[in-house]
Amino acid sequence: MKNRKNSVIKLAFVLAMLLFTHSCSDKFDDIEGQLNADDLDYSATEDMVQALVGAYNIIATRGWEEPLLLSVRGDDVNAGGLGDQQPFADTDNFVYDQGYWMYNSLWNLHYGDIVGLNTEISLIENFKDFANEEEKAKADQYIAEIKVMRAWLHLNLARVWGDVFIIQTNQPDAEIAGGTVAKNDVMQFVSDQMDEVIPLLPNMRPNERTDIPGGVTRYTAYALKALANLEMEEYQAVADAAAAIINSNKFTLYPDYYNLFKKPGELSDESLMELQFSDYGSSTGDTFYHLYAPFGPQGWTPARENASDGWGFYEPSMKFIKFMLDRGETERLETSVLWTDRGIAELQTDPNYATLPGFVSNTTRDGDVINDYARALFASGKHYLPSVQLTDGRNNYGGGKNMIVIRYAEVLLMYAEALTRGATGSGMTADQAVNLIRSRAGMPSVSGVSADDVMDEKFAELGMEWGIRYYDMVRLNNYGELSYDGRTFDASDELLPYPQAQLDALPTLGGSSD
Amino acid sequence: MKIKSKLLLISFLLFQAILFAQNNTTISGTVLDSQGQPLPGANVVLKGTTTGTQTDFDGNYSLDNVPGNGILVFSYIGYLTQELPINNRTSLDVTLQEDTQALDEVVVVGYGTQKKADLTGSIVTVNSEQIEKTPAANPVQSLQGRVAGVQIVSPGSPGASPTVRVRGLGTYSDATNLLYVVDGMFYSNIDFLNPNDIKSMNVLKDASSSAIYGVRAANGVIIIETKSGAKNRKPQIEYNGYTGVQRAQNVLKMANAEQFVTMAVESGSTADVQFVLNAMQRYGRSRINPNVPDVNTDWYDEIIRDGIIQNHSLSVTGGTDNVSYSLGTNYFSQEGLLDMKNEYERFNVRSKIDVDVLDNVKVGVNTVFSNATQYTPENSAWFKAYFAVPILPVFDELNTDATPIQYANAQALGYRGTQNPFPDMEYNNNRLKIRKLLTNIYLQTELIKDKLTFKTAYNLDYSALEERYVNLPYNMGFGDERISSINRRQNNYFNQIWDNILTYNDTFDQDHNVTVMAGASYRDEAANQFQATGSDIVGIDYETSWYLDFADPLSFNNNVGENNRRIYGQSYFGRLSYNFKDRYLLYGTFRADRSSKFTQDQWGYFPSVGAGWVISQEPFMKNVGFFDFLKLRAAWGRLGNDNVPASAGANTISNTTVDLGDTPVTGITATSTFTDLTWEVVEELDFGINIRAFDNRLSLEADYYIRDTENAIMPVYIPIANVTVSRNSGVIRNSGVELALNWNNDISDDFSYTVGANFTTVKNETLELEDTRGYIDSGSAEFRQRTIVGEPLYAFYGYETTGVYQNQAQIDADPVAQSAIANGQDIEPGYLIYRDANGDGAITDEDRTVLGSFLPKFTYGGNIGINYKDFGFSMNFYGQSGNKILNRKRGEIIFTNDTNIDADLAKNRWHGEGTSNSYPSSAGLRDSWNQKLSNFWVEDGDFFRIQNIQLAYTLRGAKLKGVNIPDFKFTLTAERPLTLFSYNGFNPEVSDGVDRQTYPVPAIYTIGVNVKL
Repeated sequence: MKNRKNSVIKLAFVLAMLLFTHSCSDKFDDIEGQLNADDLDYSATEDMVQALVGAYNIIATRGWEEPLLLSVRGDDVNAGGLGDQQPFADTDNFVYDQGYWMYNSLWNLHYGDIVGLNTEISLIENFKDFANEEEKAKADQYIAEIKVMRAWLHLNLARVWGDVFIIQTNQPDAEIAGGTVAKNDVMQFVSDQMDEVIPLLPNMRPNERTDIPGGVTRYTAYALKALANLEMEEYQAVADAAAAIINSNKFTLYPDYYNLFKKPGELSDESLMELQFSDYGSSTGDTFYHLYAPFGPQGWTPARENASDGWGFYEPSMKFIKFMLDRGETERLETSVLWTDRGIAELQTDPNYATLPGFVSNTTRDGDVINDYARALFASGKHYLPSVQLTDGRNNYGGGKNMIVIRYAEVLLMYAEALTRGATGSGMTADQAVNLIRSRAGMPSVSGVSADDVMDEKFAELGMEWGIRYYDMVRLNNYGELSYDGRTFDASDELLPYPQAQLDALPTLGGSSD
Repeated sequence: MKIKSKLLLISFLLFQAILFAQNNTTISGTVLDSQGQPLPGANVVLKGTTTGTQTDFDGNYSLDNVPGNGILVFSYIGYLTQELPINNRTSLDVTLQEDTQALDEVVVVGYGTQKKADLTGSIVTVNSEQIEKTPAANPVQSLQGRVAGVQIVSPGSPGASPTVRVRGLGTYSDATNLLYVVDGMFYSNIDFLNPNDIKSMNVLKDASSSAIYGVRAANGVIIIETKSGAKNRKPQIEYNGYTGVQRAQNVLKMANAEQFVTMAVESGSTADVQFVLNAMQRYGRSRINPNVPDVNTDWYDEIIRDGIIQNHSLSVTGGTDNVSYSLGTNYFSQEGLLDMKNEYERFNVRSKIDVDVLDNVKVGVNTVFSNATQYTPENSAWFKAYFAVPILPVFDELNTDATPIQYANAQALGYRGTQNPFPDMEYNNNRLKIRKLLTNIYLQTELIKDKLTFKTAYNLDYSALEERYVNLPYNMGFGDERISSINRRQNNYFNQIWDNILTYNDTFDQDHNVTVMAGASYRDEAANQFQATGSDIVGIDYETSWYLDFADPLSFNNNVGENNRRIYGQSYFGRLSYNFKDRYLLYGTFRADRSSKFTQDQWGYFPSVGAGWVISQEPFMKNVGFFDFLKLRAAWGRLGNDNVPASAGANTISNTTVDLGDTPVTGITATSTFTDLTWEVVEELDFGINIRAFDNRLSLEADYYIRDTENAIMPVYIPIANVTVSRNSGVIRNSGVELALNWNNDISDDFSYTVGANFTTVKNETLELEDTRGYIDSGSAEFRQRTIVGEPLYAFYGYETTGVYQNQAQIDADPVAQSAIANGQDIEPGYLIYRDANGDGAITDEDRTVLGSFLPKFTYGGNIGINYKDFGFSMNFYGQSGNKILNRKRGEIIFTNDTNIDADLAKNRWHGEGTSNSYPSSAGLRDSWNQKLSNFWVEDGDFFRIQNIQLAYTLRGAKLKGVNIPDFKFTLTAERPLTLFSYNGFNPEVSDGVDRQTYPVPAIYTIGVNVKL
């Protein structure tokens, strides 16, 4: 009997041990260290703005190669970086390699951000479900801001590749299946979107916003509308959108052209869209920087010691410099170019430029000395932050400098161009617009400006910035200007070929553009 | 009635007593082995009864009350059992012979043991003698070349663990770690174990052997048993140690200053020539060749040193009637080849105690505490030493801005970077303190004697990894300045496993042997990482202030983080093995596993079956003389891999910060795609044959296997959203043949030898993947690796070169070159000729093809062992072929083309017609045409190596001044003394095939002593 009892106990013990593990099974459902999007408390509508802030983070986080590739093909700028990123230099010479990683990266980062922005919109819509009337209006405004950012990315994509996808959701399978949209239709989409969002956006300058300093306002939307219509050569619409900005009387040109691109010019009354970067004035701790090094000279003796130099990937062209010198430009040329002795000597080999104005020097106004380096003759002045403006203890090239995306000067020149191409102006005259620009740059007034004059003014005013010059020349089929310094440009060079990786991944992208 | 029965019982007992009293005797004696050494713990049993005893420390036994006509059975594991009649003797000495047939050899299988002869799967056991030959921190290193089907890629850095692959690469993820089961506990790394503490390593190669560990068995399983004591054994104190030196082997020869200057001049780049002139201005001209600067730095020579390695173990093992124990301590230290604070040091304490608390209840506890400190190298130094120009000295007094040490800076000569590797080495201090506590307690009880056993075991593994990365401040001049900072990471891992196992074994009708095991297991794996970075440390000059307390508090902003992970697992498993007359073998296991890592179906089911036919046991084989053992076997099994990142199962939120008006503002972003995963499942079919022949002198084991990873978790690129999401979307196949052949011969008591060889083929192939592109890219854009159906994982993907253009006429005549020229590309003599794979007359992306894989197709090993009297000699060799290495060091020229290159490339470059048909010219190296990834950059990784040579001498029975001194064994070991290869690098062992800053693997020469008291 006792033995049997023993065995029963033993058996019960064993079974209990074997089955004990069942009781732990409830632990299998949750995942520690993770916050699910569905678990966010959307009824806390005061947090809605966090999704908008997330969108500003997305738009400002640009890869270093993006602005470079967007603009390198213009006659204002050359690829520097001799000996590194050879296919980037090939691109500058209109020899395209669709396997080159920069093309794929530009595509990926732009579209990835569009999807990211769409996700932020859907987060805001979740909050909106719990919002009161006032908050609902806020939600609509936030979504409108994000749509402006999204429109800018679409504009860039269509400028570079022509026919591209329009993506308005974060699950874009259907939109991909629908195929690409013609370049003009993308521009029309941008223009229509801006019409839709303008009434929802704050009626102020970006720097007047206190909730989101430097955030998108309705004038940013007008500017984008003008840009899209310019691409479509819808000059009346350009003139109207630009006039809306001009006639608001809110915008003025920042008086100091040189400092517009430095710390003092950040979030000025000229700025319509600006990517903001900072180290918040602290030598340690968090920073939010754009990587400006590719724009910078590859060797310098900075006025503030230990400031890092750049990579020398972005070189103002000799053509641009000569063009500026021929016009007698001073401040705008000084602002646009960092000179090396080697570059100056090279320039002087042309007897027409044997004597140069005093500001042509390898020492900048702020005392930084640009040394000779192999990769390029010049570096970009508009992407240069004087080393003395760096925060103490911070050495990154251009660390904390903002990047202006759209400024009032471009709006004025778009307006002037539209008028000279036959549009009716509802604000000032084309001469007035151009002279505003010229007077700030210390250039004498002109009258009776032609479309070509405006294009020259744009070249001088907006050189090095975002490939504005390149896309103007492409729009006007002015291939002669792009065929400079031994290059030959023809219609087939206008668009970049779709990245091979995207052709492989997106069957509807077919009919390769090369 | 009652009284009557009691009486009957009493009379029966009395009668029995009388019977026994009649001719009983007491017998005693000694049990010895064939060498005349006493065998403690041998079993002595009166046949047909349970009466018996075990021999004591000196091999003596004594049995009372045994019948004079009885028979005694003497047995001891590993020896042939002997039965001897008592014949009324009172003394009986026995010499047991070793069981050379080893048919009763027992191997460790999952949750139990099994007779080797009964195996239907493929298990290879490596014993302590072989493990101890290899001087290394991690015991698994000793498997290199010794086990067919196991590829070990050696690490060079002290304390680093080798890459181990069993039967190829079956997962795309980087979770390729094996499962190590150390006395029941699961580990993914055994770097904390002292090789001397290991009794055996059992590599479960095929799926049917390892399926019982379903949960993590997919990358292979190694079961490790640590040494135990034995009952009734005198305490044996053992010292085991070695000390030695490590030397860099096959140091890569770089272009010297003269060769470098020649290349620079030929490059056609005025800048490069200017830099050389700058160097001559700064450092003077060489007196031997005035066109060369007076500096000729051999950077590898500067950064490499010899390192010391040593290992000392002290242990005591023994046991009493009901307790056995094994206690020990171990110290290991190893210096790195890189001349910086780069070393590893480990101190271990272990104890293993088993106690019979009751007749049928046994408990035991096993504890290992390991305390290690590792200073990790700054591997960038290996890379910088490659490209740093030889015309730059280490120190430069002219570089007055440089503090605290006046290192030379290549920027002084005009180069883009500082190049000098010394700041990396001198101004970084990377310390890891690794503390691990493994403990395991079990209770085992026999529910039915000799038949049904129950065991419950609780295992815990607590690891604390304390990382401290100190960036010391420096100024290199030319704007290259760094402020001090410290990055601290505290990682805690707490893993628990609780196993409950019932085992039943029985024999029916003499011929049917059955073992059944059933169990349940519960796992809990928690991990937490806390990390913070602070900068601008006050008092950075003193190590006593290397704490975050001394950092600028503002610097913590956004530099503090915490990660947490907790995974639960639950399992039920069982095993059935059956054999009929030791002739027909059946084997099956089943495991059901649940893992909280997966958000789709959390349960995975992992069955296996195996069958074997021991032909040599068949009656018709009795006359086939030379076969001692012949077995055919086949097995199939399914394994799971949950050693992958946990699946999210939903979109997730994360915080971001952006600058708005010079103020940091925090926002949120969300994912739009997420992982939703289930088990990665491996299915394997294995056919094998085991042969022993010629009096067991020859043994052969051969296997053919096909191992498919179904449901492989692979990255899927989601275009437009531009995210890559892991999905159970691929099928990966590894297949091949393994063969191990051994011959051993004991010619006399004084002389024996063994010769062994093994080889392995592995074909790694992607069978399916889900991606609209039909491929998965990895590597960088410039150095592309691509996974394509029909090809190995991570294959190098680029252009095939067919030669070098020798002259203009050749270029003019080549339509492919003309097409490129028409497109704006410049092509000169000295440029590479690419194969126009698709024949469209132009070189485009479409012409790229698979250039090879880093996985060897063929590996082989061998060993020779000779024992003569007190001398022993052994030699192992190892080799592999069919793998490729991307020479990423050379590849750096794509990004910085003015830096140094290796001497081979410098000497053999194309520099005129007929000078080279494989290397481009100096100018060519700088053109994008030649910079495409091609087989110019991807080289053969074949090598042959003498893995280990050991000479041993045992001093036996010596006397010092008339006193017996214990036996000493002295060893001289050379580990990896010779490696032959053609690859232009240090080292053909590169785990992922991309040699950018691979740490060289040293040769090690040691002298060792083993003494037992």
